[in-house]
Amino acid sequence: MNKGIIITLPRYEYAVDYLAVYSKSIIQEANKKNIKIKELNGKNANRKEFESFIRGLDYKMIVFNGHGSGDTISGHKGEPIIQVGVNDSLLKGRITYARSCWAANVLGKKCMENDQEGCFIGYTLRFMFYIDDKWRSNPHKDNIAPIFLEPSNLVPISLIKGNTSLEAHEKGKKQTLKAVKKVLRSGTKESFLFAEKLWNNYTSQVLIGNEFATL
Amino acid sequence: MNKEKSTPEAIKELVITKIEAQMPPHLKLSVGSYGTMSKEELIEHVQKDDVIGKQIVKAHLSFLKALASGEFAKAMVSVENE
Repeated sequence: MNKGIIITLPRYEYAVDYLAVYSKSIIQEANKKNIKIKELNGKNANRKEFESFIRGLDYKMIVFNGHGSGDTISGHKGEPIIQVGVNDSLLKGRITYARSCWAANVLGKKCMENDQEGCFIGYTLRFMFYIDDKWRSNPHKDNIAPIFLEPSNLVPISLIKGNTSLEAHEKGKKQTLKAVKKVLRSGTKESFLFAEKLWNNYTSQVLIGNEFATL
Repeated sequence: MNKEKSTPEAIKELVITKIEAQMPPHLKLSVGSYGTMSKEELIEHVQKDDVIGKQIVKAHLSFLKALASGEFAKAMVSVENE
């Protein structure tokens, strides 16, 4: 297995486009550390491309951005990119971070069965975030979405920085709590709504598999 | 038949009141593959008590439970000095 990252960046609708835009800091951190990163952008975020690159490059770390269900993570146009019983074995031995709803429930558990090396960090509930609708075509100008997305970025960024999977998982969770603290201290009328969704993301983020995995 | 229980009206009312009072009109909530939803759409789903509505209610109740049980306070203390 080679030191490197494959990141999926589907962009076919607003929610996934936001995930792609806010993945920029993950890509920048990898570049800064001279770690190879293969971006599967837009329509290239599909099963065929993913399988081809994971087999060819054999990179150790995978970051999924996309909608999920218990047993699937999708890519472009909501088509499954990784699915239990189809190609989940491709994740064995690797470090996976899935910013996708529910994928830790079945997919995360299944792909880590009998795996002493790899790990899966993901969510057991829906990953939720608010956006400011006036910036939906320019997500990078949105001041609301990063409240939710930046803490989650810290998981892959910590791994890139050399932390273990457990450290990265805990740093991501801690950053989410700090975001809760910040929104509550801001005292705006939406503070509690934000805190509630951040709490949802905090409680549902889990680490399955090897706690000492490093990139 | 494994049908999910209906949400009590009082709970639905509580969640709707919260959304109405706290969610500015320019915000939308990303609810995974169901898309991004406006305040009005969220309220409609809670009223209908459909899959999305139930999930909105569930997130709300989980947060309230964490507040009531002390779990939330404990978590906040862990980042108090950071």
